[in-house]
Amino acid sequence: MGNLSRRSVLRGTVCLAAGGELARPYIANAAATTAVVWWVQGFAQEEDVAFSKVVADYEKASGNKIDYSIVPFAPHRQKVISALTSGDVPDLFPANPAEIVALYAWQGKLVDVSDVVATQQAQFSDTALLSAQCYNSVTKRRSYYGVPFTGAVLPVHIWKSLVEKAGYKIDQIPKAWDAFWDFFKEVQTKLRDQHVRNVYGLGLQITTNGVDPNNTFHYFLIAYGGKDIVTKNGQLHLDDAQVHAAVLKALTYPTTAYKQGFVPASAINWNDADDNNAFHAKTIVMDIDGTISTEVAIIKEKQDYDDIVTMGLPLSNEGRPVPSQLTVVNALIPQGAKNVVVAKDFLKYFIQPQVNNEWLKVGLGRNIPIMPATVRNDPWWAADPHRKAYSEQGVLGETVPAYWAFNPAYAQVQNEHVWSTAWIDMINGGMTAEAAARKAAKRINDIFAQYPIEQS
Amino acid sequence: MSATIAARAVGLAGRRARRRHALTEAGALAFGLLVIVWTVLPIYNIVMVALEPHGDVFSDAVWPRHPSLASFWIVVSQGYWYLEFFWHQFGNSLYVGIAVTFLTLLIGSLASFSIGRMRIRYGWLVSNAALLTYVIPASFLAIPFYRIMQDYGLANNLWSVIAAEVTFATPYGIFIFSQYGRSIPIELDESARIDGASPWQIYLRIYLPMMAPALVAVGTYALLLAWNEYLYQFLLLSSKRNMTVPVALAQFLNSDEAPWNYMMATAIVYAVPPLIIYYSFRGRMTAGLTAGGVKG
Amino acid sequence: MASASVIELHAPGMRRHTTVWHILQGSLRGSEYNWALAFLIPYTGVFLAFVVYPVVYGMWLGSNPALYGDLFSDPIYQDTLVNTVLFIGVAVNLKMFCALLMSGFFMRRGWWVKALLMVYVLPWAVPALPTFISIHWMLNGEWGLVNNIIYALFGADGPSWLNSRWLALGSAIYSHIWKWMPFWTVILLAGRMAIPQDLYDAAKVDGASGWRQFVHINFPLLANLYLICTLLSTIFTLGDFNSVYFVTGGGPANTTHVLATLGIRDAFDMAQPRLGVAAVMSALPLMIPLVIILMRKLKTAEVQL
Repeated sequence: MGNLSRRSVLRGTVCLAAGGELARPYIANAAATTAVVWWVQGFAQEEDVAFSKVVADYEKASGNKIDYSIVPFAPHRQKVISALTSGDVPDLFPANPAEIVALYAWQGKLVDVSDVVATQQAQFSDTALLSAQCYNSVTKRRSYYGVPFTGAVLPVHIWKSLVEKAGYKIDQIPKAWDAFWDFFKEVQTKLRDQHVRNVYGLGLQITTNGVDPNNTFHYFLIAYGGKDIVTKNGQLHLDDAQVHAAVLKALTYPTTAYKQGFVPASAINWNDADDNNAFHAKTIVMDIDGTISTEVAIIKEKQDYDDIVTMGLPLSNEGRPVPSQLTVVNALIPQGAKNVVVAKDFLKYFIQPQVNNEWLKVGLGRNIPIMPATVRNDPWWAADPHRKAYSEQGVLGETVPAYWAFNPAYAQVQNEHVWSTAWIDMINGGMTAEAAARKAAKRINDIFAQYPIEQS
Repeated sequence: MSATIAARAVGLAGRRARRRHALTEAGALAFGLLVIVWTVLPIYNIVMVALEPHGDVFSDAVWPRHPSLASFWIVVSQGYWYLEFFWHQFGNSLYVGIAVTFLTLLIGSLASFSIGRMRIRYGWLVSNAALLTYVIPASFLAIPFYRIMQDYGLANNLWSVIAAEVTFATPYGIFIFSQYGRSIPIELDESARIDGASPWQIYLRIYLPMMAPALVAVGTYALLLAWNEYLYQFLLLSSKRNMTVPVALAQFLNSDEAPWNYMMATAIVYAVPPLIIYYSFRGRMTAGLTAGGVKG
Repeated sequence: MASASVIELHAPGMRRHTTVWHILQGSLRGSEYNWALAFLIPYTGVFLAFVVYPVVYGMWLGSNPALYGDLFSDPIYQDTLVNTVLFIGVAVNLKMFCALLMSGFFMRRGWWVKALLMVYVLPWAVPALPTFISIHWMLNGEWGLVNNIIYALFGADGPSWLNSRWLALGSAIYSHIWKWMPFWTVILLAGRMAIPQDLYDAAKVDGASGWRQFVHINFPLLANLYLICTLLSTIFTLGDFNSVYFVTGGGPANTTHVLATLGIRDAFDMAQPRLGVAAVMSALPLMIPLVIILMRKLKTAEVQL
């Protein structure tokens, strides 16, 4: 197991820039077969163990060395940005957060990895491929700037015991969209009648912190027919009648539920973990939250683990399946990387279906594959009820890519939380759905104006 | 006769003074209670979460329902994945903290002595230039710092963090020393010089002891800055063995799920050493008062 | 200058002739000057190696005028400016004033006062990240400790502390004061302790106590220190993003951002570090006068005892 200290040992002790330059030629030859990788620490220890194993296997198979560090999520994000700003970049790192693949591809800061993706092209799902194909404003074309290796969707997590305490059964939950969410309003009412203070039916993340609020809004938007708000060619379609109607409905339903008191009042300023905290305390009946980390966190508490029901999305009001927006995580090679060859070689190894599957399985299946055949062929994915529901939703079911893959402008829209702001404008600011939608649309149009994509 | 009246008057005045004293003392105690509530409330919440066996942070409880010291044990025994190298990282933090404190006090007091006591010409240039350090808040100088540490070959090295923290603590130290030093008469230096003392001896024998309260204040500031600062430690340290505890704490933000009880227990364990250090050195503050502070 | 006269007394035979070197040396001579220079070299080294380059590089990162166009067109920028002014104005002054009062309180005698001081500095000793997260939990409207206590004591539901812009901003200000007041108290306490005891004794003999003592002894001697601390604190507070980031997250709906958190959001969440630096640099029109005043203060004539 290597880390950056090897490099600093080779570089020697404190020296100014000139001295640093003198030291570099010494490692030039060693670098020929060593790639520097900054990996993100997982949520469970098994994920890190799995990655170390992949690296060890690769080193044995190829003879190359991978000088990797496993860095916690927040420091990793800051390191990557500092490195890309200052120019001293590693050879490989995962997109953290996921949308930087689109932003950096736009700026021409990533190495084209089409050759790597091509080795498994047939295995990848369409959504995965679309999520890696980003527009480069320097070359003015799309290409593959990331190598997909995992993804995430938002399943629904429900406390069975709370539903039953209200006098209902899980299989009584309606299948149609609006009716599904309304069901939990009923559960809350019944629980409150039993004097359970401070319990809420709907754990909707109506906040401007974290990634899940954006996903939640999009799920509602897609369910109401607004899937084509941004199309594959990067064009924005806010004026489209169907999209507009869907936007209004997606803005209205959650805010109405909030005003009726079925969403916890503090939800409008939750941070990323607050919904999980509330769910674990059994103060919200259901939670729509990314990945099955909610369940994996309590995998050792059998009773509670079995008490949670993991479900995919309900059908739309018209009875049709609602595609889940899949956030694909790509591996990126930055421009200026010293050892692109080994980085690419490692990636080709890593995305082989059996290696990828093994890595995910050792990591407790908290991350799902982006190759449908993997899940179809391996019964392990269906062995655990939570994993089964999650992989069915995220891998086998219908998915759509995140909109930032089509146009990096949408990454900024998400980071500014334009839609969550619209929700809160309606709640705190008393705006109507129309007014809030108009305000959001203005901001989105302004942002899109900064990212002109040439249509060929 | 008048003597007894006088004696009674004195007695009365004494009793009134004692009652007034008792009242102010009672008032002070009540105020002290308020201070305790104010200070302890968020810390009580930390302790409550740390004592929670399930790591729940939301509940309707005011007292810990089923308190358990398991989290503290996990931290101390390195029994959880994130805490695998806790004591090693703790040692790193200690190393960084002590180095930063020592260097800040040394460099800052030397510079302050030279500028403020020896009145080196153009010394004001240095103390004003030091202010440049603060024009851009430290959180935004992190990216340039990352770059220069790579250039200096200090990547993933504790000394890069030490250098960064000393850079931010020293100007503050120089200001406080120069302010505080004004209350120490310059005649002391001069009489020592007449007696044949070299500047180094004046610095060591007169200046430092008289500056004791300021040294404790600035030293504690430098220690706590290095101890708890995390942004630079995030950026400049990569491997688990080189990490400090603040970076280890960042692991708990890896996802939206974390064993918060372990994180809070770690925070509490980690907060103890600076308190011990401050407590041991606080005595010197009062020592400085009785030994020095002389009007001359 | 006094020191010059001492030196002349010491070596009356020394002839004074001016050269450039002597001008640079000022009133120090010979080995004394070398000592003074040697004492100054460590800090100068630190400064050159670790301040000049980052600050210049940082300013260069934020130097593109187009950035400011983007910055000002961000819909939350104006609110952020207002918040920043409010945050700094209220937090710094309230904190310093309370620190001044508390430093007076801690001058009292008694073992329990000393013990209280140990508890009092706890906020300063605990790491910021977990502590502010804990405050965020504590202030949760439904399940946080504060509202649980309010319900237990009064049977009523406390307000949702983080839901409205002003309550949330107030919570952030509270968090900042909670964390930093002990620190400034310790500084002012050191300042009070520097006041010679015989001044107090003399005052007592003259019959002054309490308030009059404060006005005639403490205030003049502490005034300069207090002002410097306020200025420094303002500069530090501009960069304080922990208090807002972990307690309110900038919410609800990005209405409680301050320049520091906006800069962090731009730099790291939006992957636009230059925009982030620009956000903080946009406060330069405020910062530069502060820094200049601070420079002036450092040259002020010493306090007359």
